[in-house]
Amino acid sequence: MTTIYVFDVDEFRPVIEAAGQRQTVSVRKVGPYVEVTADGPIEIGRRESGVRHAVWYSAVAGVVAGRVEQFDKEQLRVVPA
Amino acid sequence: MIAPGNHWVRGVDHTAFVTFEPAETVRFYRDILGFPLSQSVCATGWGPAPDFVHFFFDIGNGDQLAFFYYFGHERYEDAEIPDLLKSARHLALNVETLDHLDEYERRLTEGGYAPYMRVMHETIESIYVTDPNGLNFEITRPLRDSTDADRDDATLTIDALLEVLEADDEPSLAALWAAKGRRIAALTETDEVAS
Repeated sequence: MTTIYVFDVDEFRPVIEAAGQRQTVSVRKVGPYVEVTADGPIEIGRRESGVRHAVWYSAVAGVVAGRVEQFDKEQLRVVPA
Repeated sequence: MIAPGNHWVRGVDHTAFVTFEPAETVRFYRDILGFPLSQSVCATGWGPAPDFVHFFFDIGNGDQLAFFYYFGHERYEDAEIPDLLKSARHLALNVETLDHLDEYERRLTEGGYAPYMRVMHETIESIYVTDPNGLNFEITRPLRDSTDADRDDATLTIDALLEVLEADDEPSLAALWAAKGRRIAALTETDEVAS
């Protein structure tokens, strides 16, 4: 299970909401974070999330059983590791 | 080890920089931005120091921004410092509202110091300008209140960073994400982070 954590605050909530658009994800609250898990890779599009650049690049709080393969202006892609 | 929070400091008394442009510095901070002068020290040189004027601006909340002007000192600029590191070293002052930020942008622009950048960051919106001394100067307003969750997140970040620095010869953000991820995974929904 690929897992990322996103800080559950106003500025990052659109990223959490966009996580379900490209794959099926499970989402649950863990402390002040939201845990996003998927069986395979997790892809989140920046434009789909609608967040501004200055926020997008700091949207990942933690990664478990995964590796950030791409994190640029187009998308965040975390693959199983 | 002292418990975090066990201290009595009330903020910044003053922060001080060197100026070779005292007239323009006074124009920038007093006449354009509106910061009153609050103190000055005019001293004959003692020890290795030349004669100097140390002057302070009131930047609100009892805090002060200070400069040293050294008479007769040769102008100096660190030409070697990489741009990244030079711009990272900056002073950010806080205003409360969007109207206040807009007003400072207007004052700076009218004074000939149009901000070179305006950015909505995670929790603040900022304007940036280079002051007459080459100092990267920011004025910022909060976009939301700071919370206990922010404090907890910062604590986990630094715990993870310290772990990575200890374990890894080549520290990386990827290693930090992994270390912080392990720490978050160990939390439960109601956990508080010991800071």
